[in-house]
Amino acid sequence: MKCEWVRQNIALYVYGEVADDARHELEQHTSRCADCAAELKAEQEFHELLSRDRAPDPTPNLLAASRMRLQEALETAQQGGLLHRLAFDPANWLRQMRFSPALASAILILGFAGGVGTTYEVLPHKTTDAGIVTASPTESSIAGISSITQEPGTNQISIKYNTVSTQEAQGSLNDQRIQQLLLYAARNNYNSGVRMDSVGLLTQNPTDTHFRDALIYALQYDSNPGVRFKALDGLGPYVKDDTQVRDSLLQALVNDTNPGVRTEALRLLEPVKADGRVRGVLMALAAKDSSQYIRSQARTLLAQLPEID
Amino acid sequence: MAGQERRIDDTMLIREAQRGDRAAFEELVRHYDQAVLRLALHLTGSEHDAQDVYQDAFLKAYKNIGSFRFECSFYTWIYRIVTNLCLDHLRKKNVRKEDAPVAKDPDGGEYDLLAQVADGRAGANPERDLMRRQLGARIAGALEKLTPRERMVFELKHYHGLKLRTVGEILQTTEETAKNTLFRATQKLRGALADMR
Repeated sequence: MKCEWVRQNIALYVYGEVADDARHELEQHTSRCADCAAELKAEQEFHELLSRDRAPDPTPNLLAASRMRLQEALETAQQGGLLHRLAFDPANWLRQMRFSPALASAILILGFAGGVGTTYEVLPHKTTDAGIVTASPTESSIAGISSITQEPGTNQISIKYNTVSTQEAQGSLNDQRIQQLLLYAARNNYNSGVRMDSVGLLTQNPTDTHFRDALIYALQYDSNPGVRFKALDGLGPYVKDDTQVRDSLLQALVNDTNPGVRTEALRLLEPVKADGRVRGVLMALAAKDSSQYIRSQARTLLAQLPEID
Repeated sequence: MAGQERRIDDTMLIREAQRGDRAAFEELVRHYDQAVLRLALHLTGSEHDAQDVYQDAFLKAYKNIGSFRFECSFYTWIYRIVTNLCLDHLRKKNVRKEDAPVAKDPDGGEYDLLAQVADGRAGANPERDLMRRQLGARIAGALEKLTPRERMVFELKHYHGLKLRTVGEILQTTEETAKNTLFRATQKLRGALADMR
């Protein structure tokens, strides 16, 4: 191995980007060649110098402001629709069809079934003796969710949802259909009472990542402060271990319009007040928050922290 | 394993977003937006510009998600959009560099005055903070001297820890080219910061 090759690859070696065999040879060479060993040492020192300068993480405020701005823009943004895509990219569409025999078969079968179906009366959904709908609800068929109730002392949940007519699904919280409807209700329903019930049930099992994501979504975007408050309580126990939960609580603390939600977020963040970002937000709040209570609580929490040197 | 779960999760969200589900797209955004904002913030050096890059990148992704064909990961796809926007930004910045508020340091080198402004995260040790800021300003000055492409490769490798193969995919070039670019970037940086070692 020549010194010239070593010199050209020392930077890659320091970044762990040299293949295993070449790395071995490079190490062997530098153990024998004093000049290349000095070059390696200089490169490692330079790397160490650069590593002292870290790219800063965006502050929770900046992240929250960016998300809000994007959300507003998305409301008016138009996706390139299916027709648009087919009209402007027919070659790609045909290519997809050519390489998707299963899809082509499915379309053929669907067309055949549709043709047969038009000659017969379409039967209504079958129901069991207990009147429970057996068909699995799909999001596209749900017009809205009208009520959610849990039988006291049991884990049985009853959800009424509308398609063309109101239907009912029953099952435990572990039932996939029930979970699907709860997640739908938490995000999409127009009735805040139903969203509240749904979020309340989701808080019973926030170890499920989909449930936890739905709670984070409710905390960030639900228009009803009661729903946001309930979501907060469900997320509280995870503030230590889940950084996404911590970030969402920080956003609620900084940006929520409801003082009760902000105060609760501050209380729930207390166990992680020593975290760098939480500390940063507390310092900002203690200095200039519009609420006197938040200012004083932030100062109290900061006073309990050891000084950083 | 976690990466695999994330990919499955992303696939579902992408399919829902392709069917027009905005909530699914917003969830997808939250998987990546912190890293995107961090990259944009460091490359542009300005919160305002970083927000613009963030906004443009995700709006572009939203409008074009219908044409996402799973030929690469969503991670690579969104980084490709962001790096293209940042490269445009760096190129424009290079054009108007003469207007930047620069000052001369005692050795005659130029440094960016804005980089000297104290940030809100300063700790309780003013001497260490000053040294850290001076080092940061010198490194920022040296990074400014790289070409936009060298800067991007170095940024993705050094500050974001990506493998050069991934960097190549993002920048739509080969791993070998990314290696050569990183080599050039580190050589230039060593030259520019030689007096600091």
